[in-house]
Amino acid sequence: MQTPVLEVHNLTKHYDKLTAVDGISFEVKRQEIFGILGPNGAGKTTTLEMIETLRPIDSGQILLDNLDVTKDPQKVKRIIGVQLQSSSFFDKLKLTELLTLFGEMYNRQIDPLALLDEVELREKAKSYVAQLSGGQKQRFSIAAALVNDPVIIFLDEPTTGLDPQARRHLWGVIKRIRSEGKTIVLTTHYMDEAEELCDRVAIMDSGKIIATGSPHELVQQLLGKGFKKERVERLANLEDVFLDLTGHSLRED
Amino acid sequence: MRLKGILIIVSLKMFFRQREAIIWTILLPLFMVFLFSFVNFDGLGKVSLGIVNASTDTTLVGALRSVQSFKTTTGDTSEEFDALRKGDRSIVMVIPPTFQPAGHDSVTLYLNAEKVQETQIGKLIIQRVLDELVFRQNTAVTGPAIRIEMVNSRNLNYIDFLLPGVLAMSIMQSGVFGVAFGFVILKKRGILRRLLVTPMRTTDFIVAQVVSRLLVLMFQVFIMIEVGQLFFHLHFIGSIFNMLVVGILGGIVFLSIGFALSGISKSEDQVAPLANIITLPMLLLGGVFFSRSNLPGFAHIITNYFPLTFLADGLRVIAVEGATLAGVLPQIIGLAVWCIIMVFIAVKSFRWE
Repeated sequence: MQTPVLEVHNLTKHYDKLTAVDGISFEVKRQEIFGILGPNGAGKTTTLEMIETLRPIDSGQILLDNLDVTKDPQKVKRIIGVQLQSSSFFDKLKLTELLTLFGEMYNRQIDPLALLDEVELREKAKSYVAQLSGGQKQRFSIAAALVNDPVIIFLDEPTTGLDPQARRHLWGVIKRIRSEGKTIVLTTHYMDEAEELCDRVAIMDSGKIIATGSPHELVQQLLGKGFKKERVERLANLEDVFLDLTGHSLRED
Repeated sequence: MRLKGILIIVSLKMFFRQREAIIWTILLPLFMVFLFSFVNFDGLGKVSLGIVNASTDTTLVGALRSVQSFKTTTGDTSEEFDALRKGDRSIVMVIPPTFQPAGHDSVTLYLNAEKVQETQIGKLIIQRVLDELVFRQNTAVTGPAIRIEMVNSRNLNYIDFLLPGVLAMSIMQSGVFGVAFGFVILKKRGILRRLLVTPMRTTDFIVAQVVSRLLVLMFQVFIMIEVGQLFFHLHFIGSIFNMLVVGILGGIVFLSIGFALSGISKSEDQVAPLANIITLPMLLLGGVFFSRSNLPGFAHIITNYFPLTFLADGLRVIAVEGATLAGVLPQIIGLAVWCIIMVFIAVKSFRWE
């Protein structure tokens, strides 16, 4: 049995009287796409930020590839790739220049064009971030998270605000990165996205993890309790209609 | 070390790609100098006359003082001739020890060779005043003669006062506003947070920011002096190196104020009022556009200690009088004290998030 790449034990975070994260524990296996689901304010982003060394931990422990995040933040930073929810980049640098600069921050001389290929942005190499569409920005943000060839990548709501075509495109990119040996942890509040992408999910609410498992297992558990939808699922929904009419191709240019 | 160098180069690249920054830090100060160059604050219609009176006679000085068209000063030889060489006097009149209104000893007029109009008028008036004195004495037909000497003065203009002041102003503005706005925006848009998840040391980033801004400041100093000399007849006789030393000291003071402000303010909306509260009084009273000599006593004393006053005075004395660093020691000490205070406050109040 492989050791988990990420282990979270009894993680807790308070803001004044509010308990944002309330003693959660979970593990992420190597080369897995792990989703943290939950409504806004459930504590997903706070959890990620503690793992990413951005926020001090009140109590509990986080081990990343056997490194303790509290004790070894510098070493942890070297092996993680991060896309922040509101990540933005310097205005006046071109995409290749930004990637080269980020590489240097890890003391690496990288090939920016190869990274842009990874997220299908080579044709935008000489553009500024401000000239990119929403989906392209998110893909660029993922490329920037890959500059240090990280063991694990954290994506905070990567598809929020994207149109259906751009979301599907991004899903493709995420799946390919996983197939190349990376582990991915993402947060989302789109259930269809979790079902499509994630091997396993943790559902968070009010700072607690209330369920963990593969999407299929969780659905089976629910059905096992005798749950029935009031209306039988239609064979297609409005999103299918939208995609049928507008096509799967990207509309970014 | 390598990362620091790269960060400096990248910051400079970003600065020069930002059109607004170039307009604010380089073009706007030049435009101000250009506008003010049309204003002639020197020629307020009076001829400045310096008198060195070695005689016991007071009637001539008294008579000259009562002439409306003269701005009369008296002093010893060295004071008045220094002023003449600087261009602060159009005429210096030397009255010899043996002079008497009815006597035959001539007075000597030293004329500022470039101020033709003023000296012409001045000469005529002085001749008339002397004639009147003689006439009143009623004794002799011919009174004292006038001897004329021409002196080549440097004729400092308003531009020579203004340009070093505007340079000080632009160092202040780009330090305070550039850093304060720059960092609040980097924070607010999450750019700093994104940098925090990389292993880059935060001090490397700050050092690169400071160094790249000081390099831009040096560029400002060069441009202002060169353009001033080429287009505005700036009488620059100082050393550029000394200008840079004083400029960089001032730059560090104002960059620190910028960093402190970016730590204190929560958003862009808070930066502007705070930055203006700090910079406006200095801009108006710190001797950038107008000499502080007309300020009332207490204001004069307070403005003595403004960092902008130290910077503007220091740059001005170096540029116009060719002062050495020792010659601007009071300004250097003043700026150094401000440096220590502001760097301390900046370190205490600066925040990454």
